[in-house]
Amino acid sequence: MDEEYDAIVLGTGLKECILSGMLSVSGKKVLHVDRNKYYGGESASITPLEELFTRFGAPAPDECYGRGRDWNVDLIPKFLMANGSLVKLLIHTGVTRYLEFKSVEGSYVYKGGKISKVPVDQKEALASDLMGMFEKRRFRNFLIYVQDVREDDPKTWKDMDPHTCTMQQIYDKFGLDKNTQDFTGHALALYRDDEYLNQTAIQTVRRIKLYSDSLARYGKSPYLYPMYGLGELPQGFARLSAIYGGTYMLDKPIDEIVMEDGRVVGVRSGKEIAKCKQVYCDPSYVPDKVEKTGQVIRCICLMDHPVPNTRDALSTQIIIPQKQVGRKSDIYVSLVSYTHQVAAKGWFIAMVSTTVETDNPENEIKPGLDLLGPIRQKFVSVSDYYEPTDDGIQSQIFISASYDATTHFETTCLDVLDIFRRGTGEDFDFSKVKLDLGDEEQ
Amino acid sequence: MANTPRAGGAGAQRPNGTVQNKVCQFKLVLLGESAVGKSSLVLRFVKGQFHEYQESTIGAAFLTQPLRVEDTAVKFEIWDTAGQERYHSLAPMYYRGAQAAIVVYDIPNQDTFGRAKNWVKELHKQASPPIVIALAGNKADLANKRVVEFEEAQQYADENRLLIMETSAKTMVNDIFLAIAKKLPKSEAKGGAAEEHRVGAVPTQQRASGCCK
Repeated sequence: MDEEYDAIVLGTGLKECILSGMLSVSGKKVLHVDRNKYYGGESASITPLEELFTRFGAPAPDECYGRGRDWNVDLIPKFLMANGSLVKLLIHTGVTRYLEFKSVEGSYVYKGGKISKVPVDQKEALASDLMGMFEKRRFRNFLIYVQDVREDDPKTWKDMDPHTCTMQQIYDKFGLDKNTQDFTGHALALYRDDEYLNQTAIQTVRRIKLYSDSLARYGKSPYLYPMYGLGELPQGFARLSAIYGGTYMLDKPIDEIVMEDGRVVGVRSGKEIAKCKQVYCDPSYVPDKVEKTGQVIRCICLMDHPVPNTRDALSTQIIIPQKQVGRKSDIYVSLVSYTHQVAAKGWFIAMVSTTVETDNPENEIKPGLDLLGPIRQKFVSVSDYYEPTDDGIQSQIFISASYDATTHFETTCLDVLDIFRRGTGEDFDFSKVKLDLGDEEQ
Repeated sequence: MANTPRAGGAGAQRPNGTVQNKVCQFKLVLLGESAVGKSSLVLRFVKGQFHEYQESTIGAAFLTQPLRVEDTAVKFEIWDTAGQERYHSLAPMYYRGAQAAIVVYDIPNQDTFGRAKNWVKELHKQASPPIVIALAGNKADLANKRVVEFEEAQQYADENRLLIMETSAKTMVNDIFLAIAKKLPKSEAKGGAAEEHRVGAVPTQQRASGCCK
């Protein structure tokens, strides 16, 4: 360890592993350390099942759960948008070669105590039970408008400049009612709250396009999920980093981040000090440089059946828009199953999560839990959401934010790309990845 | 190419000049202490290269190499540790789905043989059976510095049902890969899940999990 590095990365969560990979690819000498024995930090998938039970202080699982090693349970539920930033990163870096994905079978939205399939194209909109007959037509016209909008071509804006109009104005122009606005903003554009209504429409238009472009890639839903769980993602990027020369140490406690004149100069573990010019880390390694800005509640539910009313989907997502249940932020339900190699045969893992708004968070996720049917085992966690207190330029310590309640990785990637830009002063150059290296002679 | 789906369509896309269009693809992982010559073993096999002072592994995601066993084309997807073995930081992903492994030790170094035994244990713990494991005593060309006797290694290999061979990157290493290929099951595909895909691949493409298409 007593060596000198360009960058030391602390923690092997997804964000740190992507950063480590990008830094190594960019020619930096990287040391990547985790205090845990396993990869993934907060974004690990826990295996075997016994480990999950121990983690939550529950008595050991009985035989009905099958082999413990067949389980890989995510601590944080997220899906990949098939056309989203993480998929682009995976493809451009070649990490996709280590992974296999399944598309998520269904995407549902909650309205008045029931769940309905999220309608995305004109045909589905007309068949949906979310809207009455006249509303369906108005929604259809709105979808056509969104699909036709070209950001740089005013002719496609139909007198509604998405760069200046607010989203509310656009909704009103098409005469969409509150319910339709609700599922459009939350189940298609995937906003967590309603602040977007008063912002310019272009962001929402982009998000709806991302949703439908993602859907167009594999069909049933816009989401992908990796076989063996989300914990494979950090491992894949860690391998990328190692391949480009990154050094890996797990199970290595970090005792001190060594500073000199307000700048980081190294990292100490026991008596060893590794020197470095920069540190990249998650909030848990620098408690004095982050502030708590919220909380997220997540409830892992082990079940022996799919979610009712989803046509027995083996994987699904349900969004409960905030207004439907009198909240400020949405509640998310995700379901994966044994078909993703994350549970023993016949088992399902549901996760209900949301941003905490009250001092009784467990009560807040009840509308989500109520959709699931009988739950065999529940594990509830409330995690603090941390953000760095500064941009890291002075100290050269670049800190990622905790994983938020969003159901996909778009905010994760934005944070990573922003940290990379701050740390290196430039955008990541994908052309530095030598895709042909070690690859087939095709 | 990153966007190229592997396995599934390989046989069809790349006819190998024979009547049979059958390509069996297997994931093979390399294990062993740092600097026992894992990479050079593979480079010799794949590219016919040998460098006296092979640098630590950089840049290779995995190498692939076709072989022919009787009427079957076998293709190895060979995973290198990328140095992650050095501080015992190999990810579970590395072992995932491995159908074959070569555990390498140094004939002139007893410690590396002890470590090789640990890697075999680790393989049994982490990889899902059945897996074909071969033990490779490397640097056979340095026989005058031999510390690990062949009989000792062979006895261990027999007890644990491993293939064993002494290799030298300076000489032919093909035999060990051929021996592994012969031992691997080359049965028909058991119909993998149709919706699995690689990102960037067309949706219908699927992976042949170790079987033939």
